[in-house]
Amino acid sequence: MLARELAEPYALVDLDTDALEAARILAADRLPGLVVTDQDGSPYAILPASQVVRFVIPEYVREDPSLARVLSERAADEIVRRLAGNKVRDLLPDKPHQLPVLNGDDTVIELAAAMARMRSPLVAVLEDGRITGVVTAARLLEFGCGAA
Amino acid sequence: MRSGLTYAIAVGVFAVVYLLIATERVPRVGAALGGAGVVIAVGAVGAEEIFYSEETGIDWNVIFLLFGMMVIVGVLRQTGIFEYVAIWAAKRAAGKPFRVMVLLCTMTAVASAALDNVTTVLLVAPVTILLCERIGVRPVPFLIAEVLASNIGGAATLIGDPPNIIIASRSGLTFVDFLVNMGPIIVLNMVVFLALCRWLFRRDFVADPERVQDVMNLTEREAIQDGGLLIRSLVVLALVLVGFSLHSVLHFEPSIVALLGAGVLVLVSRLHSDEYLADVEWETLLFFAGLFILVGALVEVGAIDQLADALSDAAGGDAGNAILLLLFGSAVLSALVDNIPFVATMSPAVLSLVESGPLAGQEYLWWALALGADLGGNATAVGASANVVMLGIARRNGYPISFWEFTKYGIVVATVTVVACVPYLFLRYL
Repeated sequence: MLARELAEPYALVDLDTDALEAARILAADRLPGLVVTDQDGSPYAILPASQVVRFVIPEYVREDPSLARVLSERAADEIVRRLAGNKVRDLLPDKPHQLPVLNGDDTVIELAAAMARMRSPLVAVLEDGRITGVVTAARLLEFGCGAA
Repeated sequence: MRSGLTYAIAVGVFAVVYLLIATERVPRVGAALGGAGVVIAVGAVGAEEIFYSEETGIDWNVIFLLFGMMVIVGVLRQTGIFEYVAIWAAKRAAGKPFRVMVLLCTMTAVASAALDNVTTVLLVAPVTILLCERIGVRPVPFLIAEVLASNIGGAATLIGDPPNIIIASRSGLTFVDFLVNMGPIIVLNMVVFLALCRWLFRRDFVADPERVQDVMNLTEREAIQDGGLLIRSLVVLALVLVGFSLHSVLHFEPSIVALLGAGVLVLVSRLHSDEYLADVEWETLLFFAGLFILVGALVEVGAIDQLADALSDAAGGDAGNAILLLLFGSAVLSALVDNIPFVATMSPAVLSLVESGPLAGQEYLWWALALGADLGGNATAVGASANVVMLGIARRNGYPISFWEFTKYGIVVATVTVVACVPYLFLRYL
């Protein structure tokens, strides 16, 4: 099977998409991450859902996890509002997670190898330089289990 | 004295390493070990001097005292005691910013006297940012004040500041000697420092009254997960401090006391090695080893004796001049470069001064060196390791502190506290 046959339509966001909107997309479809494109629509990076959570948690709590226990519910609510007013580019780490990109006619084993090598839950599939779909790890496993 | 070429290489390499450390062009551990490699290669020092000589070798007392205390801290930080005390203090201060600063700085200074400054800063900074955000004030003045308090408080004891550890090992001065001679002026300087903070940060004490309740809602008891571990850790820490104090009775070197304490704490804490070794800064220990080799080479080639002679000549054999020279010279140089390499270099020179010549027997010269180096480190953002660490924490949390922002406060505090030492040293020792 070829990559294009496994690829599915997938939510794309760009660097200037509102951070809260990106979080809502992740939450609504329970996605493991989002594909981020640059202004030209070219693949740029992956925004893992865990990175969004990481952004919300203050650095001082990450440095000293015991502080998470001393905060009240109200303080926790305030912290979650940190997403407001930010863009997707603000959520990305200094070294963004690289998005594996394959061509539509690449084989499924190439796809699996790219996913494994880059430890990515998503692979973008390109046709003529444009993203035509995304293969998730879950979709790949579904195919693998079916073949087995 | 070795050959002229060996002398020139040892001094030249030391100067280059010092410059590299000052400019941070390369990691300091790389600079120190690289320099050590060169002086060994040219034969300025050999294995006998490096490993077995008390005068020119690696000071194992310093290395193992640091290692032992790092392990102790690795266990202590698991207890949540620092977070508990900081939040308790902020609630006691009813969220009033200046009162919060006074209590946090006092807590930091006391903790720094018992632990390493860098560790104290790492433990106190996150909870400080949390408290400031709850009160609605800018954390930057609090973070700066805490690191300044840490460097002042750490000067009070043998184990509080790395320069003191080096001085103690080279001079033979004990934990009690440090406490008795450095303690009074450090307490006085802390009072002066807190008063200075009221003026230096006067525009930053405006809190949001509506947010004070946020501080009162924090639950400090939640910070302590394992009460049993906390009690066991505090008992062992107390025993270690008693062990340091009873040097004249037990005759155990501080490094032995720290290692025994670390061993007992590891046993009673039942923590995994990943946890109790997490705070061991292997790079720092290697940096010290490299530095001792470099300074040992300077001793071997006779450069340190020349430095001691030059100091003695500059002081003209006068004790008062020697105090002023050491105090202000140390303060200025420690402000520009990390005070650890400076004290490592100066200690054998001061030892030479107090052992022979017109200033023989004037043990108080050690206090002038320690006070200048410890307090001078406050003057600039790069003067002490704790300053650099605090700037990093502030930046990662979105509150960047520029070199000059730190320095404009640090230089005032360093100048006032160092000058305050002059009447103390003169009245007490001359």
